[in-house]
Amino acid sequence: MNITTENLQTAIDRIQNRIGPIGDEMNMLDGQLGDGDLGVTLVNGFNNLAEIRDDLPEDLGKALFNAAKAITAVSGSSFGTLMATALMAAGKSVKGETSVALTRLPDLLASAQEAMIARGGASLGDKTMLDVLDSVIAALREAGDDPRNMQQAALSAANKTLDEYRGKPNKVGRARVYSEKSVGLDDPGMMAVKRLIECLAA
Amino acid sequence: MKKLINKPEDYVDEVLEGMALAHPESFVIGGSTGRMLHRPAPVSGKVGVVSGGGFGHIPVFAGYVGEGLLDACAVGDVFASPDMNPMLEAIQFADTGKGVLCVVGNYGGDRMNFDMACEMAEMEDIACARVIVADDVAAAGPEESHKRRAVAGFVLVTKVAGAAAAAGKSLTEVTELAQRAADNLRSIGVALTSCTVPQAGKPTFQIADDEMEIGMGIHGEPGVRRGKLRPVNDICDEMIDLLLADKPMAQGSRVALLINGLGATPAEELYLVFRRAKARVEAEGARIAFHLVGNYATAMEMAGASISVLHLDDALEELLKAPASNPFWKA
Repeated sequence: MNITTENLQTAIDRIQNRIGPIGDEMNMLDGQLGDGDLGVTLVNGFNNLAEIRDDLPEDLGKALFNAAKAITAVSGSSFGTLMATALMAAGKSVKGETSVALTRLPDLLASAQEAMIARGGASLGDKTMLDVLDSVIAALREAGDDPRNMQQAALSAANKTLDEYRGKPNKVGRARVYSEKSVGLDDPGMMAVKRLIECLAA
Repeated sequence: MKKLINKPEDYVDEVLEGMALAHPESFVIGGSTGRMLHRPAPVSGKVGVVSGGGFGHIPVFAGYVGEGLLDACAVGDVFASPDMNPMLEAIQFADTGKGVLCVVGNYGGDRMNFDMACEMAEMEDIACARVIVADDVAAAGPEESHKRRAVAGFVLVTKVAGAAAAAGKSLTEVTELAQRAADNLRSIGVALTSCTVPQAGKPTFQIADDEMEIGMGIHGEPGVRRGKLRPVNDICDEMIDLLLADKPMAQGSRVALLINGLGATPAEELYLVFRRAKARVEAEGARIAFHLVGNYATAMEMAGASISVLHLDDALEELLKAPASNPFWKA
């Protein structure tokens, strides 16, 4: 199976259909540690992606770049910037291709992760979405190329990482200020990644 | 809040409209969100020079669109970075095939968004370069100079970049000259009163009538020392001492001096600052080869001033003195 712009459009549809309640949940989670706008960022971002979905070009690299543009146009928060960064990095690694083998998905995510580390300055272990992404990438490398297996493997990796980090303090960003308070809470960015993976189930 | 405004949320767009109406020969509003000012037409055969940043610092940033200066500029909300899209549109406008230099103030949002805009532009095969301006010596020590924020000295880097591009230099050369200007630039400010962001509606910080703060940033970021207000010569001496401690002036060297008003300080007082600063520079055995006195990078209605020193060589001096045409550029 391959990744095409059509798959990207399907993913946007699936997430956008369920983004409302996810947004409420993320605002609540983020409000405990930060300024409570993570949900707004996600909802605005995916609604804008839905706006441009029909116009996404066949070139997967360009499609991912256009998706990044759509995200940044409506969300100035750092999470929005990092999502756009991730999409651009993934886009760059498939520039000029219209169909990419699903087995390359971990590599795309790894390039996205690397770009987010460079731009945002967080490290692995800081209790951010990077930690979830890291375990998801590792799980996907083992999961073969059946989409259903890949989604399941990604989801259980995300759950495992959330469990692992719940008792640890946040080490970066605004949540760092409330480092002690963050012990026992799920990181909103980590949870957001898990919810997005859940949306991808057919 | 006492301001001549309509609705706070319309402030930026209406000011831009006013600027374009007042100076149609220099400023045209563009971009899909109307948050980009550009010259009436792109100038082909030269490197494009663009900038972008939060609003509320007129003439920085958008006010410097003009001949021998910027080709286009992305505009954010008051004291908030524009997103990447108007930045990308500014780059696309300014590119006529020789590439584009982005002159960027050292603020997180400006940097990250210009990073992304440049990546996007490169995807469209537009060659991009960036120079980060970080001139405020109050923001971090010399060993962490990369963490310094940009203040009024930004204007001098913009002028150097614009003039180098107008002279037909390559993207590499324009970038090298602008970087050299940024590396040899030091600034320090003093604030006497706060500013009020229209959408916030109340002063950004509190400062007593008889107090001043040395080293305050152009958004009201904390400075290095708050104390009783002193005579202008004393304040000036403290500021010049900080600049000299960071980068001494060699005997026989040349500098450019910018005395900048933050918005609410009258020209008379800026001339008092210039008078003392000039005497101090000359006492160091250096010479002022170029100077500006006026409101070049403001912080809404903040009272206060900043002093910027750019250490010159022949090339930088020539570029600063090169002609430029713009409603705000008065050399």
